[in-house]
Amino acid sequence: MIKLTINGKEIQVPRGTMVLDACQQAGADIPTLCYDPDLKLAGSCRMCVVEAKGRPNLMAACVSPAENNMVIETESHDVVESRKIILELLLARHKLECHTCERDGSCKLQDYCYRYGVTDSRYAGQGPHFGMEDPNPFIKRDYDKCIMCTRCVRACEEITGAQVINVKDRGHHAKISTVFDGKLADSNCVFCGQCLMVCPVGALTSKVSAGKGRSFQTKGVLTTCTYCGTGCTFELNVKDDNVVGVTSVRDSEFSPVNKGALCVKGRFGWDFIHSPERLTTPLIKENGEFRPASWDEALNLAAEKLKGMKDKYGTDSVAMFSSARVTNEENYLAQKFARVVLGTNNIDHCASLCHSSNVAGMGAAFGSGAMTNTINDMGEDARAIFVIGSNTTENHPIIGYKIKQNVRKNGAKLIVADPHCTDLATMADVNMQFQPGTDVALLNGMMNVIITEGLLDKEFIENRTENFAALKQILEKYTPEYVEPITGVPADDIRRAARIYAESEASAICYSMGQTPYSTGTDNVKSVCNLAMLTGNVGRPGTGVNALLGQNNVQGACDMGCLPIAYQAATDSEIRDKFEKAWGLTLSAQNGLTVTQTINAAHAGQIKGLFVLGENPIVSDPDIQHVDEYLEKLECLIVQDIFLTETAQKADIVLPGLSFAEKEGTFTSTERRVQLVRKAVSGPGEAQDDWWILCELSTRMGYPMFYANAEEIFEEMRLLTPSYAGMSYARLQGSGLHWPCPTEDHPGTPILHKDIFSRGLGLFHAIEFKEPVEL
Amino acid sequence: MAEEMRVLLEYADKINPESADEYVKVGGYVGLEKARQMEINDLIQEVKSSGLRGRGGAGFNAGMKWSFVPKNAEIKYVVCNLDEGEPGTYKDRIICEKNAQALLEGMAICGRAIGSNQGYIYCRGEYPFTVKLLKNAIQSAKELGALGDFNIEVRMGAGAYVCGEETALIESIEGHRGEPRFKPPFPGVAGLWGVPTVVNNVETFACLPSILTKGSAWFAGIGAAKYPGTKIVTLTGDAVNTTFFEVPTDYILRDVIYKLGGGVKGGKKLKAVQVGGTSGSFIPEQNLDTQIDFDSMGAIGAALGSGAVLVLDETRDIVDIVTRISKFFEHESCGKCNPCREGTFRCREIMEKINAGKASQKDIDNLLLLTRVMQKAALCGLGQAAPFPIQSTIKHFAHEYARKIV
Amino acid sequence: MANYKDIIVGCIDKKGGIIEAFHALQNEFNYIPHEALVEAARVFGVSEAQAYGVATFYSYLSVEKRGKYIIRMCESAPCHVAGADELLKALESQLGIKVGETTSDGKFTLELTECVGQCQATPVITVNSEPVFNVTTKILPQVLAAYK
Ligand SMILES: Cc1cc2nc3c(=O)[nH]c(=O)nc-3n(C[C@H](O)[C@H](O)[C@H](O)COP(=O)(O)O)c2cc1C
Ligand code: SF4
Ligand code: FES
Repeated sequence: MIKLTINGKEIQVPRGTMVLDACQQAGADIPTLCYDPDLKLAGSCRMCVVEAKGRPNLMAACVSPAENNMVIETESHDVVESRKIILELLLARHKLECHTCERDGSCKLQDYCYRYGVTDSRYAGQGPHFGMEDPNPFIKRDYDKCIMCTRCVRACEEITGAQVINVKDRGHHAKISTVFDGKLADSNCVFCGQCLMVCPVGALTSKVSAGKGRSFQTKGVLTTCTYCGTGCTFELNVKDDNVVGVTSVRDSEFSPVNKGALCVKGRFGWDFIHSPERLTTPLIKENGEFRPASWDEALNLAAEKLKGMKDKYGTDSVAMFSSARVTNEENYLAQKFARVVLGTNNIDHCASLCHSSNVAGMGAAFGSGAMTNTINDMGEDARAIFVIGSNTTENHPIIGYKIKQNVRKNGAKLIVADPHCTDLATMADVNMQFQPGTDVALLNGMMNVIITEGLLDKEFIENRTENFAALKQILEKYTPEYVEPITGVPADDIRRAARIYAESEASAICYSMGQTPYSTGTDNVKSVCNLAMLTGNVGRPGTGVNALLGQNNVQGACDMGCLPIAYQAATDSEIRDKFEKAWGLTLSAQNGLTVTQTINAAHAGQIKGLFVLGENPIVSDPDIQHVDEYLEKLECLIVQDIFLTETAQKADIVLPGLSFAEKEGTFTSTERRVQLVRKAVSGPGEAQDDWWILCELSTRMGYPMFYANAEEIFEEMRLLTPSYAGMSYARLQGSGLHWPCPTEDHPGTPILHKDIFSRGLGLFHAIEFKEPVEL
Repeated sequence: MAEEMRVLLEYADKINPESADEYVKVGGYVGLEKARQMEINDLIQEVKSSGLRGRGGAGFNAGMKWSFVPKNAEIKYVVCNLDEGEPGTYKDRIICEKNAQALLEGMAICGRAIGSNQGYIYCRGEYPFTVKLLKNAIQSAKELGALGDFNIEVRMGAGAYVCGEETALIESIEGHRGEPRFKPPFPGVAGLWGVPTVVNNVETFACLPSILTKGSAWFAGIGAAKYPGTKIVTLTGDAVNTTFFEVPTDYILRDVIYKLGGGVKGGKKLKAVQVGGTSGSFIPEQNLDTQIDFDSMGAIGAALGSGAVLVLDETRDIVDIVTRISKFFEHESCGKCNPCREGTFRCREIMEKINAGKASQKDIDNLLLLTRVMQKAALCGLGQAAPFPIQSTIKHFAHEYARKIV
Repeated sequence: MANYKDIIVGCIDKKGGIIEAFHALQNEFNYIPHEALVEAARVFGVSEAQAYGVATFYSYLSVEKRGKYIIRMCESAPCHVAGADELLKALESQLGIKVGETTSDGKFTLELTECVGQCQATPVITVNSEPVFNVTTKILPQVLAAYK
């Protein structure tokens, strides 16, 4: 500890503390413009200058380490004079239009001018005026308000890693620009808007929010993003019951995954909430045309149709698709509705296309089919990251940024295997562009090298796994030279990749849709599990097998049981027993049909009715033509959605639900983190909570269901779902919880399979390479 | 004393500066040999006690600077500052043209002292011929084996005065925009590519061979006690002999101008001298009897700086010259920090206004206020020193300003 | 633009040597062509925006096409007092261009510079970095005539 005096007050701080933090600790508020706690220090704006006794010059508090016995004044004559003049210098070239500025009320320049009584500038004169229009739909940069703090440049470099902007020219001519001073849209800009987040003044603002309300007019509602499986959180800015923008929350307590960073979808993609295309009333199709209907009429009709089909063709003649987009509560209720009210286990959602290989593959190898580690593990603890079949920066941008940061800042090694040359591939230590579908061969090749070169983790294999001998035997022939012609990856690259992966202290595997939606998907997953176990890279920080799930709530929808073969299997009498007791009636013991099977069964005339909640199978299914035809064949199609999607257009009855901004609930992200979704605004027209619609239908079909709110559904759900049992809305308030969280005092489980695999011993699978049938 | 005292330039024009062999014939590389025989601590102590202070402007004791370099670091660098951007200065070029091998030897001595085997010379982009000369000199020294395992690479600047500032220079060698870093950490701890780096001026390095051969006591005995040795000064402007001279540091300014410089051209009277280059203060006639050493100059509110001496005769328009100088700073400000980026621009604006006869006393007050803030709050020496010409002329030549304001 | 790639690769063994590469490119082309800047960024592992930031920071580097001979006139104080203003006027009128422009035949580009370190012989101009000393308005035509 060192001791220093700040404004006459003596304080102690640890060595290495910056004067800025020491001042804050002593209760002295230091103005800063270029300083941003999340970015590299610049020390350039000089607003934070303070006076240290015995030094001829003022020092910038943000970049000066505190020293023993320093005596500091934070508002001395010289300090105040300097800050005032610096403000005047900035004002001298600043377009003063606070009355129309988006940042009025949340502008640091304005705040400090107020604080120091700076009304105008004695240095007002000429100054370069750079043009400002950049024709893109998201970001507005007004050079006449720029204070050259370079926070945007640093954010672009350090948070997103896009590095599309820099300072051009020097001195007073300096300006922020892209290469050749071109348009953002022509650059590699991904419009993540991190630059907006860090800009302390009105130089960078959102075009999407322009004119819709300023910070002091809006209320922030913290919620979870509805786009991808990363689970970013942010605040919806609400004015007059309208969402007018999104603000990043940088506090890791409330933004544990993204820490304020967002991608273009999260930051700018909220305008759908108030789209005029939103469904506002129930619709009933008559003579091929939709007409608005009252809730009573639509619900009665839907109940009647469903009941009719059930009675006429049997319970398994109806199927239900739920959605990876809606909340856990709605998914729970949807499967309950299917199993209890429709009386069938024909409940599925799109994840069966992408995630079922994970469930099956990882389930077989580890005993649990979910991402083993956390996103932050890959951004911080992993010393090597092996990305296979994932265009991460594109599909899970925030995870992509984190991997980039880990590579750039901490020097983590990066191996990329992908048929395409992805963005990450361009910065990889080893980039293996392999023939599509030859994953198993490639992985076997790497494992062959690891075994041949003795890089395997013998202790781990011995103590924690089984069936190694079988794997070892089949791997013998997969030498890099054997694998090279199959995969198209040079043998030496396979060797280098294998060594990097096996030799690093902590290696994480990360994969996504590039691996799973093949007939060989399960084999691919089992192979990556083999690789991880072979090198002992499971159960520790920075390791693991990390399947990145596409939509925001794939994990949750599966956890809730929206799968024909659920985590809690209907064929297991003990489990069935538990549910039957809770729900008060007998359940079908037969596995249901998957999405694909449902489609085929409809073709064959076995499925007569379909209830789709928040999915659009016409678009999401691989064979559009096929789906289209079978929808035509159905006797009754009911769609519950927020838009009249392609699928909804085919429906007989359309029920308008609510978007994430209009409801309460929870999402479970790809890393098994359960987070709250909070209501920010009311829904459009007569649109209703999805769970309310299900309850109403259920009641009308003779099984009364009633909940006061989403939380009550969650409370029922957790009694029946062991991995969620210890969670409650109160516990989820801050940064959420990772399942399994079996009891109310359990802290959640960020890392799975720590000392023991879910299935006990990890199981190696001896897998031969087979050509996938799709190719 | 009216003659020069040539130490660095002793063999100027007598040997081929590129040739290590010729240099050795006149006693070159003996100092390095001696340094190699010495214990590291003794070597650093020897340089410390010679009293050699940096010739690049800041006047920091060279041995002291080296002693801050962590001993245990694996990689360290020796960097020679040959950016020489200060208008009116060309002494480092002269040293290279007359005695390049001494610079190389000095760098190798420093390398020995701090445990580095890699040196960089950062030469300003305006001196491509010097770059060529140095490359040949390095080649020659290598062929002779004079540098041992010490390597020297020459890197070129590209027209940025601020790159003379040591941390901007480091940024530039790294291939970045030449924007200064904040200090601490100082380069001695975290410099080039983040490792300990000693940055010294050409002249500082070139002093080292003779300090080692002739001993620290000998060096400490030359010139001013607190800033011993010789200094190369470059005369420009209205002096009769606009050329370079090497003089002991207790030499007085008047003698530089009148004895060596031959006085003011055309027999005119002297109005002012600006010492230390464009960022130096203007010195009025009555202060001419000051010694040129660092501290004596400091005592009259001036700075020795690079040792450039700009002589201005009685007909010169001080306000016009300062206006021009303010444009220099505007042009050379890197733009990183607010006080300098905006300040140099406004200084130039106000100076132009004054020079055009359109300014009032209020403008001068605003100008003084601005320069005070720049001096105190700018990030690097550029913004901190840019005010000196303005402040010193408003102080010593107030009447010239008074004549122009309305 | 056949060999800009070779020129850049020639500097690759210099750590952080993108500025050296820019110099080498300018020696060949008198400026840094856009595609060469992009290539240099790639070779030296920096973003294009960064490479552009570097190229525009230094006043000796140019990303705009320039003439065969780049005349730079020093306007720092020592040259200023030696009559740089007048010389500049003469240069502009004899070349028929303003500062920053290139003659229509592509022969000369006129630029200003700060001190080039030759203040013993002011005013100084440099032509493609070669200094020319004591350039008075009188000898200017002679000086210019030397460049074909
Ligand atoms: C704006 C600015 C320009 C500078 N230019 C030079 C220069 O051209 N040459 C030089 O040796 N030092 C220059 N310096 C000083 C260097 O920062 C540094 O102090 C010096 O190279 C250290 O060497 P020395 O201790 O041997 O003097 C400059 C400093 C500033 C602030
Ligand atoms: S003082 Fe000037 S040159 Fe130095 S960092 Fe600030 S802007 Fe750049
Ligand atoms: S906040 Fe410290 S210099 Fe900008």
